[in-house]
Amino acid sequence: MDHSEASRLMASEKYLLDELPPDALEAFEEHLFGCPECALDVRAGSLFLEQSKLALVSPAAATGRVPAEVREPSGWFAWWRPAFAIPAMAVLLLVIGYQNFVTYPALKGALAENKVPSILPAASLVGAVTRGSNPSSIAVHPGESFLLPLDIPSQNAFQSYVVELHNPAGGVEWSLPVSAEAIKNTLPIRAPGVDKAGRYELIVFGLSAQGEKVSEVGRYPFELQFAMAANPQP
Amino acid sequence: MQFYAFDSQYLEQLSSGDFRTQEHFVAYFSELIRLKLSKRLHSRSEVEDARQETFARVFAALRKEDGIRQPERLGAFVNSVCNNVLLEYYRSSSQDAPSGEEEAEANIPDPGISVVDLIANREIQQKVRHILDELQEKDRRIIKEVFLEERDKDEVCRDLGVDREYLRVLLHRAKKSFKSLYLKKMAKGAMQE
Repeated sequence: MDHSEASRLMASEKYLLDELPPDALEAFEEHLFGCPECALDVRAGSLFLEQSKLALVSPAAATGRVPAEVREPSGWFAWWRPAFAIPAMAVLLLVIGYQNFVTYPALKGALAENKVPSILPAASLVGAVTRGSNPSSIAVHPGESFLLPLDIPSQNAFQSYVVELHNPAGGVEWSLPVSAEAIKNTLPIRAPGVDKAGRYELIVFGLSAQGEKVSEVGRYPFELQFAMAANPQP
Repeated sequence: MQFYAFDSQYLEQLSSGDFRTQEHFVAYFSELIRLKLSKRLHSRSEVEDARQETFARVFAALRKEDGIRQPERLGAFVNSVCNNVLLEYYRSSSQDAPSGEEEAEANIPDPGISVVDLIANREIQQKVRHILDELQEKDRRIIKEVFLEERDKDEVCRDLGVDREYLRVLLHRAKKSFKSLYLKKMAKGAMQE
């Protein structure tokens, strides 16, 4: 086989594609080893195919004319994508702003109040008759704390007690666990301020060892009114 | 590599053990021998053993007093030595079918072998990727299924509605696009030598 015949037969391509029959294969190889041009052709073709395999098998070789696919960050890094990160930062800034301008000043005010002595309005429930009596009354400003001094009859031998404040609508405003030891004395309960005036009721329940309500121990109603003027401050 | 001429001076230097000439000789014929052996032997280790044996015999013959003296016959001589090595291999070997492991090993593209080991670099990889990117999706699929997945060529052609001639022309064009860079790399390599 000479070079012109090899070119005409596309022998290099057939050689790389394993298409040459045995006789032609022997003849072409004999020519190939002595022909620099065909050797160059075959070596270049072999290198191209070798590299193509690598390119087609590697992830970066998602070859095609379409724009390269943008790889989505996986796992935790996905949260750093702008679609998530920008709204998250905005919400974070709002929270920080709210804390700086609303929450912290209010807390500071509350802390400052606790450091200053004051007289709290009180509705004494000491010795109050639980049923059928005129309830105590108290005048407070909306949201102002007040005192509820309370005596719980000690003859009820419960493991512990819970005190609940029921608002005029009948809902539980708050509840306070109390130990059996604590009821031996008058309980000076400091009640957080409320925003509705009306008839409130403090209800005491006795609890079992498992913490379940066993029975009602007593009810202590009182009238809460909103005062027009502030209490005198020291 | 091809910028060396296989003349009497080259043959003399090769016979006298000139390192640079021997290096060029091995680089030039290695890929050709590897391709030839790959068509007849099953595993990469068999190919490598036979390649080394071929070179050993060629160099031994070159050192003999009555060794090869016709530089234009150098290529044919290497081919005939390789044929002898193969014949001896056939005789001594029972030619058992390759194990699955060996076969799989032979099919894995390996950048660390052959001529790729000598000249592959980033520029070549980029060029190949560029050529593949420029191909139509169908042509890229043909190359992938025939050469990477080693599917039956007739089956691939039938699936994609082309004939074997189309496959040859596709390879010819891709090879032609790649050859310009390949030549440039060869020329650079020759200049560095």
